[in-house]
Amino acid sequence: MSNTRVREDEILEGMKSHDRRSLAKMLSLCEKAPDMANEILDKLSKKTSHVIGITGSPGVGKSTLISTILDKMNGKKIGIVVVDPSSPFTGGALLGDRVRMQSHATDKNFFIRSFANKGALGGLSPSIYEACDAFEAFGMDDVIIETVGVGQSEVDVANIADTVVVVLSPDNGDEVQMLKAGLMEIADLFVINKSDNPRSQILLSRLRAVTSGNKEVPIYLTNAVTGEGVERLLDDLDDRFFQISSNGILVQKRKKRLLHHAQSIVRREIDHLIQNLEINGRNLKEIRNQLIEELCKKDDQNN
Amino acid sequence: MIKVMIAKPGLDGHDRGAKVVARALRDAGMEVIYTGIRQTPEQIVQSAVDEDVDILGISILSGAHMKLIPRILDLLKSKGSNMPVFVGGIIPKEDAEKLKALGVAEVYGPGAPTSEIAEQVKRFVEHSST
Ligand SMILES: Nc1nc2c(ncn2[C@@H]2O[C@H](COP(=O)(O)OP(=O)(O)OP(=O)(O)O)[C@@H](O)[C@H]2O)c(=O)[nH]1
Ligand SMILES: [Mg+2]
Repeated sequence: MSNTRVREDEILEGMKSHDRRSLAKMLSLCEKAPDMANEILDKLSKKTSHVIGITGSPGVGKSTLISTILDKMNGKKIGIVVVDPSSPFTGGALLGDRVRMQSHATDKNFFIRSFANKGALGGLSPSIYEACDAFEAFGMDDVIIETVGVGQSEVDVANIADTVVVVLSPDNGDEVQMLKAGLMEIADLFVINKSDNPRSQILLSRLRAVTSGNKEVPIYLTNAVTGEGVERLLDDLDDRFFQISSNGILVQKRKKRLLHHAQSIVRREIDHLIQNLEINGRNLKEIRNQLIEELCKKDDQNN
Repeated sequence: MIKVMIAKPGLDGHDRGAKVVARALRDAGMEVIYTGIRQTPEQIVQSAVDEDVDILGISILSGAHMKLIPRILDLLKSKGSNMPVFVGGIIPKEDAEKLKALGVAEVYGPGAPTSEIAEQVKRFVEHSST
């Protein structure tokens, strides 16, 4: 116990002095001991980074797009969180997003970290809030989060990101249909990637048709391999951050993020309780009451 | 939960072996980060340290192992990491012995059963200090 205390202090001091290895350890703590991570993060001042969520179906080019975004950054400090699914059977995971970004592995301004989603719904990691805070405490200008290649209902990224980029591609079947099922509401920007595919024009007009009438959501055509169209996207992302910083939207979003962070902590507590709960012949109501009772005890322990 | 990185240094583009091992370790319940092919020792080591993996696996077929692997071990040391390293590939026996003397945990030939690799990887992680 005293041993881990020493390491915590080291991580705290390392984070303050922007030591890269301490950030690596901090992020591990976010996964392995999130409560302890929150305690340390609480003691650190944080920069308000632009948190950008990148989501969309498997294979649309999210990772490639992030790599191209990094190509075009000069001088900005960026934290990148890439999330891939865990196997529900073995708990193992193959985290492959990093492959597309390896040309940036040794860049001092960028820090790429892979997370498994550990079965969490929503296409993110259960420690995503802690991880995002850690990057902000490290002083990143932007934090980019790539979600699991999502299906339809994984919209949690909107709870943490200041800006949600929904990426579509003309190779991916009926993407517009998928949008109707959920991603439409959370998109702050649409990117139609793989603009080298001529069918991207058809996708563009279909997307325009379904988005017209809704709030004005800009659409960008990009080729993530050549970088075409990416600069305009970046300029507009920066403009948007400036806008939401000055019109009060960012403040609102951060309040919501805090709520969702708290929710994720309580959820973790409940999951933990459920795993260790003995039923012992009790009925539904009794189990419910005991869960709440145990949850209240947790509060006492922490204070 | 064991976190392992499978990295592929050198100029050859054959990553079938690396991918087979990566999948086997995933199926054994580990989180496996794959770096892709043609990685420099610097890229591999920085990635492994940033990801704070428990163990690093190097897949190498190019014949440059006696140059690349000691370089990776040196870089790890210079970054203050003592994570265990294992190697897979076509490596002559005497070279394998030299690499183990330099600190490589184990060297696996092309025929090594993946279940055995997974078992041993678990053991290397348990016995390492961090
Ligand atoms: N032609 C073309 N191919 C692209 C483009 N962008 C990405 N790709 C290719 O599409 C494939 C998938 O790209 P990724 O970046 O891995 O896609 P992803 O959305 O991150 O995939 P997941 O993380 O698995 O969901 C790769 O082979 C890329 O090279 C593009 O603009 N044009
Ligand atoms: Mg990806």
